[in-house]
Amino acid sequence: MSERRAARGQAAGASEGHSAGMAIETRALSKRYRRASALTDCTISVPEGRLSALIGPNGAGKTTLLRILAGMASPTAGAAAVLGDTPRQDPSFLAEVGFLAQEIPLYRRFTPEDHIRIGAHMNARWDATLARTRLEELRIPLDQRVGTLSGGQRAQVALALTLAKRPRLLLLDEPVAALDPLARRHFLATLTTALADAEGGLTVVLSSHLVTDLERICDHVVLLSRSRVQLCGDIDSLLAEHKVLIGPQKDTLPIERTHQVVQAVRTARQSSLLVRTNGPVIDPAYQAEDVTFEELVLAYMGADEASPARHLTTVGED
Amino acid sequence: MISFRVDGQSGVPPYLQIVRQVRQAVRMGVLDVGDQLPSVREVVGAVVINPNTVLKAYRDLEREGLVEVRAGQGTFVRSRPPGPPPSTHFRLGHSLARWVREAREAGLDDESMESLLRITLQAEAAASGSEEIA
Amino acid sequence: MNWVVWRQYRAQGAIALALLAAFTAVALWQGLEVASQWHSLVATCAGNSGCLRQGDLIRGVANGVPYLTLAVPVALGALCGAPLVAGELESRTSDFAWSQSVTRTRWLAAKTGWLLLGAAVCGGVVAVLVTWWSGPENAQLANTFITPQYDTQGIVPIGYAVFAVALGIAAGAVARRTLPAIAVVFAGFIGLRYVIDDFVRPYFMTAVTTYFHLTGPGVSPPGAAWMLSQGMVSPTGQVVSFAVPDMYGGVLPASCQNLLPSLGPVKGGNQSMNAVYSCLQARGWRGFVTYQPASRWWAFQGIETGIYVLLAAALIAVAFVIVRRRDA
Repeated sequence: MSERRAARGQAAGASEGHSAGMAIETRALSKRYRRASALTDCTISVPEGRLSALIGPNGAGKTTLLRILAGMASPTAGAAAVLGDTPRQDPSFLAEVGFLAQEIPLYRRFTPEDHIRIGAHMNARWDATLARTRLEELRIPLDQRVGTLSGGQRAQVALALTLAKRPRLLLLDEPVAALDPLARRHFLATLTTALADAEGGLTVVLSSHLVTDLERICDHVVLLSRSRVQLCGDIDSLLAEHKVLIGPQKDTLPIERTHQVVQAVRTARQSSLLVRTNGPVIDPAYQAEDVTFEELVLAYMGADEASPARHLTTVGED
Repeated sequence: MISFRVDGQSGVPPYLQIVRQVRQAVRMGVLDVGDQLPSVREVVGAVVINPNTVLKAYRDLEREGLVEVRAGQGTFVRSRPPGPPPSTHFRLGHSLARWVREAREAGLDDESMESLLRITLQAEAAASGSEEIA
Repeated sequence: MNWVVWRQYRAQGAIALALLAAFTAVALWQGLEVASQWHSLVATCAGNSGCLRQGDLIRGVANGVPYLTLAVPVALGALCGAPLVAGELESRTSDFAWSQSVTRTRWLAAKTGWLLLGAAVCGGVVAVLVTWWSGPENAQLANTFITPQYDTQGIVPIGYAVFAVALGIAAGAVARRTLPAIAVVFAGFIGLRYVIDDFVRPYFMTAVTTYFHLTGPGVSPPGAAWMLSQGMVSPTGQVVSFAVPDMYGGVLPASCQNLLPSLGPVKGGNQSMNAVYSCLQARGWRGFVTYQPASRWWAFQGIETGIYVLLAAALIAVAFVIVRRRDA
């Protein structure tokens, strides 16, 4: 257990020194429609070179956030800086940002080769060879209409086209949601290979439901729930900062006063508090355990109130 | 060339699993001094993990002195971790395999064998500790 | 971007070209047929205008086709204009197109530019063919200033086509779906054409009114003039048409009204009316004809084409603003 903690702390330090700039920075970003708010007061930052997981339940605002960052939609309040610039319809901005929308937008009548040629004409910087090689490695036929390809193949074609732009930032909206496990694995392998090739020059934001997939490949997380940001940061740092404190069922106020309680589960005999530690935990009555990524995500997603601080649940008899 | 396995459920962070697998491979003689480790790209293509994870692992190994990064060429094994040579590991591995077969025939499952090993390690550590004091 | 437009619409372009070629073939075939019939008729009638007017110009199998070309603009607007933006939004390929390195403005400019050019060419080619094909009939009947001859000849078909396509593009950009945009093209185009035809076109230029003696021979504006109204006018400005119900409506002065033949089979025809006319003329009534002279035909065509092209430009501007500003 202590080895894990030490390793995490060391890893957290190593990742901080990796990149200098911020790929994405938002301040109080909001998107209101007539009846509801898709995004409320979102402030996040994603350093360059990260593979960031954008997690949240349906309707949380993930797609809205990605579309605003890609320049496809505009916010109603707040500001966003993507690669240092406000997202806008400008060739130099569009060339740096690759966006893959949820429905995998491709022209069904056209072949992958057609799309590659279209891309060559619509982008100043275009690596057609890269796209063709990638698709050939995956044994996806270049001269077959996209409408007749499988879902996994379509996703790979779309990803290859997005990468052929050689962008500095990739925004992917649930690209693997509709794929079977094998296709999903291939897609994520293509993504991690691209990241390896870019040697820190590529930042990826990937929205998905599947937490287990994401923990393996992502080193940063942005968690949205009900249009608000619940969590944002490097995964290793966050895991190092959070603990589950298990102790007797008694007055937990001292703990709550010092640390930020994210989730509390109280049974007749004990209480279990997931806290964001603000300094060391010195109360001897409590045993501190490490948190898994999945536990962390579920705890923050369950925080129903607007402020991510308190969600106290009482479970029945033990 | 070795291939890595990363177990997401094991509780050990992925980069540490890679470090350990490299160390073990060199101990067992699967990797010799001067052999090249797979490139970050190759690892990441086979095991779907973040490239930074592999970079961290290789950097740690380099800090330990186990590997060296040659610019433009790749990462190569530099020295063996302290301990007995591969032949010793092989020999001990064989006798362990014999013990495992025997334990299985006796009816032990993997979990019991692992607990037995852990208890024995702890007991031996306690015994050698008291020996030193004594 | 031009190559992309070509690649996306080359099938549609080929179909349009094929249809144009087929229409050209039919027009040439039938047009030559009618032209030769006209030349025989002219030779036979040797200057007798009555003979010319009564000659039978059979237009053959494709008799009504020139009139069908009234539908060309709205077809272009519905089939080509409406899906231009709406189709991409519906199928969400806009998410692909608008995340490449061309701005939405450049993307729309390329697509719109080529489509409007294509529409103008289609409209123009069809108009030229119909104008040539209808030459003999125009010469025989002097009917160029009236619908549907006016609407299918000259240059207005180009204006109609460009407008209908622009309407389709703008409607598609606003509605974001093709079917509602097609509905708007039909309703908007037909509605506007009706309004301009009936309520605006007569007033492009101030009409000419010629007065004549009621007892003299009537005045008939020469050539293919556009008759707007005709009748009798009193010294005080009261207007009565030559139609029977109007004359019996009690507007005429009593003394002249009494001279009107009784309702029922007319005896003696014009002679009985002559008495009425003399009576009215004595009281200062005059006959009048209000019309647009035939010489103004090209001016009218130019004005109307200009109106439709300006409207098209406004609609395209709207489309650009919508595509650029709105969320994708």
